Amino acid sequence: DTHKPVEPAQPTAGMQSLKSARFLQVRSELVNYPEGVQSPNPALNQSNKNKGRVYDKDFLLQFQLVFKEKPSVDWDMKLKETVGDSTDSARPQSAR
Amino acid sequence: SSTSAAAEGEVRTVFHDPENFNVKHPLMNNWTLWFTKPPSGKGDNWNELLKEVISFDSVEEFWGIYNNITPTSDLALKSDYHLFKKGVRPEWEDTQNKHGGKWAFQFKEKKAINIDALWLHVMLAAIGENLEDEEDNEVMGVVVNVRRGFYRIGLWTRTVGKADQSKGRTVEQGREVLNKIGKRFKQALQLKDHEVVEFSGHTDSAHAGSTRAKAKFTV
Repeated sequence: DTHKPVEPAQPTAGMQSLKSARFLQVRSELVNYPEGVQSPNPALNQSNKNKGRVYDKDFLLQFQLVFKEKPSVDWDMKLKETVGDSTDSARPQSAR
Repeated sequence: SSTSAAAEGEVRTVFHDPENFNVKHPLMNNWTLWFTKPPSGKGDNWNELLKEVISFDSVEEFWGIYNNITPTSDLALKSDYHLFKKGVRPEWEDTQNKHGGKWAFQFKEKKAINIDALWLHVMLAAIGENLEDEEDNEVMGVVVNVRRGFYRIGLWTRTVGKADQSKGRTVEQGREVLNKIGKRFKQALQLKDHEVVEFSGHTDSAHAGSTRAKAKFTV
């Protein structure tokens, strides 16, 4: 199937949102997170020393199942060029 | 009678709508993920094996990457992931690393641990800025090495605990900062008290051969 013409991929809605979204001002903007979502621990972000960008593990883990968009439409190709197919490097001898 | 959820100017996070959000959560630093390919055995040089994968500066983007990249447990032997502050190459020769060192722990029972969870938790501690206090300015990045007999997770620091006149930091204070970072790293790895995390300077490692460096301190 390598001869099939490839349609130019379109960015998904999630990819576009990520690109156009602005940075939240964590210390000064109050967000009403949906019920059940824990907000960034205010105690971590009230010190004058930081910019309100300290997050604990439990806050960060909440995103794991929520945001699964690939970083870009050409991500699979980019991944192949950098990290490669794990099967490539793990089994260099197998010619299928 | 309820107003539209998509009202103008309303703050919508990814939790409200993962396909149509208008704010994202900023990270304190811009981070770059690097990957070391295993050598092919054909005399490839290190520069060709070390690849920059992607840079990011929001929590959302981190998860997009993490959810779409090969898990550490699926990598071939001799692979590494490196997550470093943008602008720092994950090599001890980098001018910002050459006076530094690393905290590291080897997991020798590869099948007894969940390397994917451990590496994730260390990355979260790094990007969430839980490893150091902002004025410390020590953390350069974190790394996971996949080897035949072990997994190793490391945390690279800018110094080896030297005095810093520009910060008014004495040698003792410099060491205290490194020890504090070592303890937080150990905590992120969920290690038990008797499991010792060792610190070594990069130049010691370079002179002694990377695996034979004498540990300077432990936590």
